[in-house]
Amino acid sequence: MQINLLDRVRLGIAVFAAKTITETIRTFKLGAASVLPGTIGKRLHPQILAMLSQQIKHGVIIVAGTNGKTTTSLLLRDILEKDGWKVVHNEAGANLVNGLITTLLEKTSLTGKLKADFGILEVDENVIPLVIPQLKPKYVIALNLFRDQLDRYGEVDTITYRWGKAIAELDCDTILVTNGDDPALAHLGQQLATGDKPKQVKYFGLSEPELYLDEIPHAVDSIYCPSCGTALEYKGVYLSHQGDFDCPKCDFTKSKLSIDSKEWPQVLIGVYNKYNTLAAVTTMESIGISKPIILNAISNFQAAFGRSEEVMYKGKKVRILLTKNPASMNETIRAISQVNQAGSESVSLMLLNDRTPDGTDVSWIWDVDTEKFVNAGGTIVVSGDRVYDMALRLEYSKTDLNSGANIIVKEDLKEAIDTAIKLTAPNQILHIIPTYSAMLDVREILTGKKIL
Amino acid sequence: MTLELKIGWLYPTLMSTYGDRGNVIALQQRAQWRGIKVEVIPFDVNSHPDSIHQIDMMAGGGAQDRQQEIVMRDLAGAKAEAIKAKLDAGAPGVFTCGSPQLLGRFYEPGLGERIEGMGIIDLESKHPGIDVPRCTGNVVFEITAKRLAAELTELLGGKKPIIVGFENHGGRTYLGPNAEALGTVIKGFGNNATDGTEGAFYCNAIATYSHGPLIPKNPFIADWMIKTALQDKYQTEINLAPLDDSLADRARAAMLKRLEISD
Ligand SMILES: [Zn+2]
Repeated sequence: MQINLLDRVRLGIAVFAAKTITETIRTFKLGAASVLPGTIGKRLHPQILAMLSQQIKHGVIIVAGTNGKTTTSLLLRDILEKDGWKVVHNEAGANLVNGLITTLLEKTSLTGKLKADFGILEVDENVIPLVIPQLKPKYVIALNLFRDQLDRYGEVDTITYRWGKAIAELDCDTILVTNGDDPALAHLGQQLATGDKPKQVKYFGLSEPELYLDEIPHAVDSIYCPSCGTALEYKGVYLSHQGDFDCPKCDFTKSKLSIDSKEWPQVLIGVYNKYNTLAAVTTMESIGISKPIILNAISNFQAAFGRSEEVMYKGKKVRILLTKNPASMNETIRAISQVNQAGSESVSLMLLNDRTPDGTDVSWIWDVDTEKFVNAGGTIVVSGDRVYDMALRLEYSKTDLNSGANIIVKEDLKEAIDTAIKLTAPNQILHIIPTYSAMLDVREILTGKKIL
Repeated sequence: MTLELKIGWLYPTLMSTYGDRGNVIALQQRAQWRGIKVEVIPFDVNSHPDSIHQIDMMAGGGAQDRQQEIVMRDLAGAKAEAIKAKLDAGAPGVFTCGSPQLLGRFYEPGLGERIEGMGIIDLESKHPGIDVPRCTGNVVFEITAKRLAAELTELLGGKKPIIVGFENHGGRTYLGPNAEALGTVIKGFGNNATDGTEGAFYCNAIATYSHGPLIPKNPFIADWMIKTALQDKYQTEINLAPLDDSLADRARAAMLKRLEISD
C-alpha cells in the first residue's frame, strides 16, 4: 500500500502518542494497556488499522469463530515461528477494534513502521465485517459458529451472512479456510468460491466416523439447509451440528476436505481441539510450511491460559477447561469423560459466573447434555456467582436421586478449590470447568498471578 | 396403579432458544422421581394435528426469527385449533420466552411484516423498533392470576407465589380486555415495561416472558401442573409426595438477596 507523505506524518504522530501513553500506563500500572493505546491511535488517525496492517509483509490471518480462536491462533503462531517467520499476534485475546490496533502498535516503531511477516489476529464474531475492509486479510479462518450469547451476538444466520458479505469484497487471492463439517460455514465457502470475485476456499473437517456421537446434542443450531431450508440429513455428527450432512432436497452437500484428519495428531484433548488443529494445519499447508515443522509444533504445543491449561496446585495436577456456551461445555465434559474412563473416582469442579464476559443469563446450562456426565458418578464440586443454578442443573440430570455423582456445593471459591483438591487422588487430574470470569479467578488462586 | 403422564413439547428443535428445555426436564424429572411414568412427545412440523389430543400437558419455549416463521406457518389452521381445544379443555401448559406471542393475536417485529398468532389469548405484541433497547435481565414477579394464585398459595402452605426468572425480549406485549395477567412485576420489565403486568393466564395455561428454565427455580409451577393434569386425567384427588427443594430455595434466595427483595 502506498502511503502519501501527509498520511505518513499523521500516522507517525498517532503512533508516537499512542505508544508513549502505553509506556505511561505500564510504568504507573494504570490498568489494562491492551486496548487504550488503540483507542487513542484511532482518534488520532482513523485509518490507523489499515495503515499498520498493510505493512505486514505476507499479510494478516484472521481467526474467527465462536469457540477455539485462542488455541488455533496460538498454534498458528507456534508453527510460523518454528519456521522462522516474524509474527504479530493479539495473544492477550483483545479481539475488538481497539485491541487489534493496540497489538499492531506494539510492534510498530515510533516513526510508524511495522516490521512483521505475518499477522495472526483473532477477531470477535461481530467485529469481523467491520475490520475486514481495513485489514484486507490474506487468510480468513472460519472455525465454527455456535449459539453463544444471543443477547449480544444476534442469530447465527445473520452472522454468516455478514461475514460472507465482507469477505466477498476482498481480492481474489484471499483464501478462506472454513469448517467443511459445519453446514452454514461450508455453504459460506461454496458461495464465496463462485460469483464476481471468486475466492480460494479450503475445507477442514473430520473423516473419522468412529468419532460420531450417539445422538445429535440438544444445543444444535443449524440443522436446516442454508440453501433451501429443508432439514439436513446426517450420516453422523462429530460435534454439535458439525458432521457428515447432505440436503435431501437441493444439491447442497459437503465439499471435499483439503486434508485427511486421520493423518494428523492433535493438540490438547477433545474433539474440539482436533478441529482447531486441523484448521491450523490446513492454513499452514496452504502457506507452504513443511509437515515436519507443523508436527513439531503440534507435539510441543503449550495451552493458552485456561484452555486445557495444566497447572500443579498443592501437589495435584489440575486442568482448566474454559467453557463459554452449550457447545463448549458439551465438548468439555465429553473430553473429561474420555480421560476419566480408565480411572477410578473422578473429581471435577464446575464454576458458573454471570458477569458481563460470561453472559448475564445463565439459562444456557439447560441446553447442555449433563446427564451422562452426572450419572457416571464421581464427585462434582460446584461454585461461582450462580452456584445454585449450576447445582440445580446437575441435580435434575440424575436419573435416580440416590445415585449418580456426589454434588458438593461451595459458595466460596477458595473453599471449593480446596475441597476438590483434597478429594482428588494423587494419580488423578482435577478438571476445572469455569466460565470466563471464573477462569480468571480460579487461575489467580492456582497460580498466584493475575492476568493483565 | 402406576400413574402416567404425557408431556407435549412444542417444536423442540425450532423453539428452544435459550435453555427452554429446562422446563421439560424439570416437569419430567419431578414426575419420574415420584414414580409417575412419563412420556415426552414432541409436537413439530411432522406431527399430525390429532396427536395433540393424547397429551396431558404442554410446554413451549422461544424461537429465533427464522425458526419462529417456520413455526407460525406450520401452526396455522388445524394445529392451532387442536392446541386451542386442548387448552380450553383444561390441559396445563407452560409457554415461556417468545411462545406467548404465538398464543396471542399477532406479533409486529422490529423489521418486516406482522406475524399472525393463534389468537387463543386476547393479547398482542409489538416491537418498538430495533433501536429501542431490549427488556433484558433478572426478573421477579408475584403470580396474581386469581385462581392460579389461590391454588399455588395452598400448595406453598400459605406463602405467596413469587417467580424468580430471567427475561430477554424485544417485543412488548399488551393484554386485551379478555386476558388475565399472570402476575405483577416486582423487579424487571414484564409484558411491556410500563403497565406492571407480566404474562397471561388462560384456562390452565401459563404464558410468561420469563424465559428458559422457569420451572427448576420455581418448582411449585411443575407440581401444580402435574397435580392438575393427573386429577383431570384420573378424576381423583392427587397428592404429590414432597421433594427436597433446598437447592431451588437457595438459588431463589441468592437472587432475591442480590436484587434486594425480601421474600
Ligand atoms: Zn437444501
